[in-house]
Amino acid sequence: MTNKQRDILCSAVFLVFGTAMFYFSLGIAHKIESDVGSAYVPKFIAICILIVSSAKLLLTLRDHSASGKKKDAAQNDWLGGLGTIGLMMAYMLALQPVGFILSSIAYLFAQIMLMSNRENRKPVLFAVISIALPIAVYGLFNYVIKMPLPRGILGF
Amino acid sequence: MEMFSVAIGNVFNPACLALIWAGTMLGIIFGSIPGLSATMAVVLFLPMTFSMEPTMGLALLVGLYMGGISGGLISAILLKIPGTPSSISTVFDGGPMADKGQAGRALGVGILASGIGSLIGIVALIFISPLLAKVCLLFSAADYFGVAVFSLTIIASLSGKDMLKGLLAGLLGIALSMVGMAPVDAELRFIFGNYQLMAGFDITVLLIGVFAVTDIIQAGLNRRHLADGFEKKKFHLKGYGLSVKEFITQIPNFLISSVIGIAIGILPGIGGSTGGLMAYTAEKNRSKYPEKFGTGIIDGVIASETANNAVIGGSMVPLLCMGIPGNTVAAIFLGGLTVHGISPGPLIFDKSAQYVYGIYLALIVSTIFMVVFERLGLPIFAKLLDIPKHILLPIIMVMCCVGAFSSNSRVFDVQCVLVFGLIGLVMKVFKMPTTPLIIGFILGPMFEENLRRALQASHGSWSVFVTRPICCAFLIAAVVFCTWTVRNNLKAKKIAETQGQSFDTAEEEG
Repeated sequence: MTNKQRDILCSAVFLVFGTAMFYFSLGIAHKIESDVGSAYVPKFIAICILIVSSAKLLLTLRDHSASGKKKDAAQNDWLGGLGTIGLMMAYMLALQPVGFILSSIAYLFAQIMLMSNRENRKPVLFAVISIALPIAVYGLFNYVIKMPLPRGILGF
Repeated sequence: MEMFSVAIGNVFNPACLALIWAGTMLGIIFGSIPGLSATMAVVLFLPMTFSMEPTMGLALLVGLYMGGISGGLISAILLKIPGTPSSISTVFDGGPMADKGQAGRALGVGILASGIGSLIGIVALIFISPLLAKVCLLFSAADYFGVAVFSLTIIASLSGKDMLKGLLAGLLGIALSMVGMAPVDAELRFIFGNYQLMAGFDITVLLIGVFAVTDIIQAGLNRRHLADGFEKKKFHLKGYGLSVKEFITQIPNFLISSVIGIAIGILPGIGGSTGGLMAYTAEKNRSKYPEKFGTGIIDGVIASETANNAVIGGSMVPLLCMGIPGNTVAAIFLGGLTVHGISPGPLIFDKSAQYVYGIYLALIVSTIFMVVFERLGLPIFAKLLDIPKHILLPIIMVMCCVGAFSSNSRVFDVQCVLVFGLIGLVMKVFKMPTTPLIIGFILGPMFEENLRRALQASHGSWSVFVTRPICCAFLIAAVVFCTWTVRNNLKAKKIAETQGQSFDTAEEEG
């Protein structure tokens, strides 16, 4: 993506966001007579977003020097990025039903395996770390700091 | 005085001293490992302080902040990679010094400079805060509105090369702060039928998402290069590597760099990296031998490290007196203060004096611990640079989830962390600075509440913002600052165009 394409996309996203924010602000009730109301500032901020993003869009479209160099998209490892996001999502969804210890063990092991490469992959070491750390953190929070973490199916 | 003796009792007990020591050491570790930062350290440990006595909790955060900023110099010198953004300018001379076989001397001088910068910053904090608090007592709702507008403008302008993107990030932060109950009338906004959103988003959750989760996702995108080794320099050091004569000749450098750091710290939204860079440039311009800067001289290391640590004291001034954080770490502190029922503002010296004095004392103790133990533990901290990132980052992610969960004991916050992490990622793709987002999120409620209260008091008349001299002055300053930044940006762009270069709007964040 060139600098110009990136800035156009950025402005477009904020134009949509500003429009949506303004639309949803219309439904906010006005409670106190002497007050400008709770919809006032959201509408004002939405309008500011629309003005600033429009200005950014116009400036970017008018600017012929902003095309810049195309960044090599292949530099990014999309499997690693999307895999990380997927693992995080699965971890956060499993946290409540499965519990902190089991979900953290599974997440840690999978994430470390995903981030490692052939040369530094040591599954036994990774497994030991993945099991020991969640148990230690659970113990610290549950028994020392007295701030219980999700228990899940194991019930402890 | 009575409050001061209470604070002494609270800080100078074994448990609190141990927490300051642990915080400082952990901060140094987080600061020294590239990819982790002072902000991340304070964010991750903030939830653990919730159950502590206020002074103890704040003392831990103080230690993490102090150690985190200073720790960056270790990798800046040994690996030529700044451990935290604050140490960017330390690389300029610290790196070449290491190349010349003076890595130990650079480290020693850097640690000493960090300590001196911190102490001068703390002295400034102790003297400036009560004076500023007295001035702030005169502020009305309209004046606070003016301060909020000025702060938002300055943040948007200074936190990146592209002011419009900075403004958009700040506005997004304000928009996020509006989710949940509105100030003044408690009307529910933007909750879309989800009762979990009634209380709005927690600042800790936003910070963990934007500063930690985003970085971990980026590491996933960059996983092929995570194991890339960097050549680590060996070091040998006696004392702090600085003779008494050299120390005396560097006194003006210490003082000027500290003043620059304090001033940058007081200005909202800009952090240690800008402070370090400005002090480095100022010292270079002042020097009799500017051509030697960048070749490996102690002057550059001292300027950078003194200034970035002096920022700490400076950033606490507007935080304590007005509730406006000087930078992102101070923003997390604000969360820490409010969790413990301490409301920052001009009355803080009357209502929570013992905690304010506690913070001062913790800062001083942490500085001493940092100077002594960072020096003694150098071999260990250097060794920790070898911890593989593919193991460290997933562990940090688990700690992020623990931190987010403990802020309100609900899994919903953990899920929000991922959402904010993705928002942070999109902002990085768009090359938008993230600091304005955080400061906008904090200043949003202040902006709205004071605007509405001022208009209520003036029966809806907008003239109140012009007739109140303090508010009017801040609004004029905001306009002047905006115009000045736009002019400078256009000038820089013109120069870039005449030189045939494309003007990249990429962020440069502290």
